[in-house]
Amino acid sequence: MTAPHADQLIEGYIARLSAAAGDLPKNARQEFIDDMRSHIAEARAREPEETDAAVMNILDRLGEPATVVADARERLGIRLAQPYRPGVLEIAAVILVPFLWPVGVILLWISPAWNWRDKLIGTLVPPGGYIGLSYILLANATPGRSCGTITDQAGHIIRSSCTGPAELPGVLLVPLTILVLGSPLISAAYLAIRLRRGRGRQAAATA
Amino acid sequence: MALIRETPRYAYELIEALGKTGLLTTEGTLYPLLSRLRRDGLVKTEWRESTDGPPRRYYELTAEGRRALTAFKNEWMSFRGAVDGILQEGTKS
Repeated sequence: MTAPHADQLIEGYIARLSAAAGDLPKNARQEFIDDMRSHIAEARAREPEETDAAVMNILDRLGEPATVVADARERLGIRLAQPYRPGVLEIAAVILVPFLWPVGVILLWISPAWNWRDKLIGTLVPPGGYIGLSYILLANATPGRSCGTITDQAGHIIRSSCTGPAELPGVLLVPLTILVLGSPLISAAYLAIRLRRGRGRQAAATA
Repeated sequence: MALIRETPRYAYELIEALGKTGLLTTEGTLYPLLSRLRRDGLVKTEWRESTDGPPRRYYELTAEGRRALTAFKNEWMSFRGAVDGILQEGTKS
């Protein structure tokens, strides 16, 4: 047995195989790699004298990883993933998520252009878009502050008290209002950016 | 499939048998074919201990596989008959 590089050769081959088979379904890929490994083991056991050349011949006979995987893909009826091109659906979703929340969100979830995380962010920041925001603001405005003063007969104030939520200091109020009112637009801008990023990633993967 | 009609065999045996006929040039492509046949229910598999190594997966025809094989055989016969006919026509003229 003089095959000092046998393991290295085989692992290299399996690595190329796994890389090429990256887009196969997980269990199909695992089965395929296992089959190849046991094939190599069978073939090695049959070699009267194992040399590096013999191992290389075994791998040669198995075939180029790219060729074998292409064949497997065809057999399993898997086509190479086509890059998804965002279209009217995505543009409509980005515009309608802030302004017509339920419709925009439905479009957002229908589109395959975004992943789960993006869809959740688009749906929940802010919940309901501008419609939801106005609803929340109105609901908070009703139980506002009520103040009462108790005076004595002479008109002197004995006690003055207010109930309800405390007023926010004016310094915080302005940026907070901008943030709240701007959040649907920020969220929409985020979705638009993710749309472009996604396209770039897909293009890189198919190149 | 005809190779496992009578007796279950493991993949490497099949490759050796096909290798002798010169029909299989890229041995690796047999494995996707076998998994496809199994997915389609034409063959079933079973792990069996081997005397000289790790367990081997044996492939065996199912009833449906047998039917498919017979159908293919008939189709092949008529195809071969047609081609033979055309070739003989060619040599006559």
